[in-house]
Amino acid sequence: MEKVTYRVQRYDPDKDKKPRIQEFVIPFRHGMTVLDGLIYIKENVDNTLCFRSSCRMGICGSCGMFINNLPRLACHTPIEELKKDTITVKSLPNFPVVRDLVCDLTSLFAKHKSVKPYIIEPDMTEIEKPTGEFLQAQAQLEEFVQFAYCIKCGLCMAACPTLATDRHFLGPQPLTQAYRYSADRRDCGAKERFKMTDTPHGIWLCHLAGACSEVCPKGVDPAFGQQLLKRAMFSDSLRLRKKPVPPSVAKPPAEKKPRVAVPEFTIKKPNTKS
Amino acid sequence: MREVHLKILQYVSAVGIFFFVGIHLLVSHFSSGSPTSWASVVSRATSSGWFAIYIFILVFGFYHTLNGLRTIILEFSLSQRAIKVLDWTLVLGGLAVFGYAIYIPVQGF
Ligand code: SF4
Ligand code: FES
Repeated sequence: MEKVTYRVQRYDPDKDKKPRIQEFVIPFRHGMTVLDGLIYIKENVDNTLCFRSSCRMGICGSCGMFINNLPRLACHTPIEELKKDTITVKSLPNFPVVRDLVCDLTSLFAKHKSVKPYIIEPDMTEIEKPTGEFLQAQAQLEEFVQFAYCIKCGLCMAACPTLATDRHFLGPQPLTQAYRYSADRRDCGAKERFKMTDTPHGIWLCHLAGACSEVCPKGVDPAFGQQLLKRAMFSDSLRLRKKPVPPSVAKPPAEKKPRVAVPEFTIKKPNTKS
Repeated sequence: MREVHLKILQYVSAVGIFFFVGIHLLVSHFSSGSPTSWASVVSRATSSGWFAIYIFILVFGFYHTLNGLRTIILEFSLSQRAIKVLDWTLVLGGLAVFGYAIYIPVQGF
């Protein structure tokens, strides 16, 4: 394959009534990702093309796009993996489009914030003015660590069939994060979170389609996280869930390690006095 | 009532339906005699055991169906107000139809 055809969604809210498709044929090179192609188009063919990206290594979660009918990270999708010489790129479904490939993720972050994605303590002084680290055993960390890998890219939300019909549904990302923090032994705020997730548009609308886990680029498995949240909420309502105990704080070591001496400069500083 | 309680009842009613409809099918199809004959229908309709089983089937069946219907309708991005209207329609409509449905076993008994 020497050339690759990009069919890119274009949308300018000032000019277009609805998104349209524009074609670009660009040179292909081995190892190229979908994002590399978009950058090529922007730099060499049409600098008005809008898309979001930052880290180019599947870390920041900003390059989520609808690539050949699946939500994927553009920087994490090698063109060869698609096994096609025509690539259709659109903005993520289930989110309003702002311009071209940029969608508005406000609802994702608002829903994420609503489930209180942070450690809640009965006495917040230790959180606000920490005197040491909360103790946590390795096994306790492993109970939720996979859900902590979420990069908030929104791919799971774009793939969710329930969100496609009910825009008020909290969705896989916030619900999984509600579980991630409630399962954390350092946290005592599960009850507060369960109130947020136990609504008509909350966790019970998840029908376990599993599309979220299929597309998650970080192996978070949000469908599993939501099932665990349902189980935790069931046990909580039947009073079978253990009462959370505030974690103990590991006091900092009394003796501080000696500071490593800073090595001398190997290049002499220029004499600025003269 | 919280959503989690509605969901727990949904599962309980599913088990209830499975259990009581199972009894109904097993006894009526594997006991001797025709289950649809006049005599066996009358004997079931006048037995207090069968009366209780029919009431349980109706209660569980109604709850399971109406709550299932509510879950489907909820997926249409309903507002809080619309959800309230939906809930009351299902409760009142359900009670009315349940009252009518229960009339037959009560009459027979
Ligand atoms: S759960 Fe996965 S797909 Fe969803 S936002 Fe997090 S990283 Fe992205
Ligand atoms: S650019 Fe950061 S995840 Fe793709």
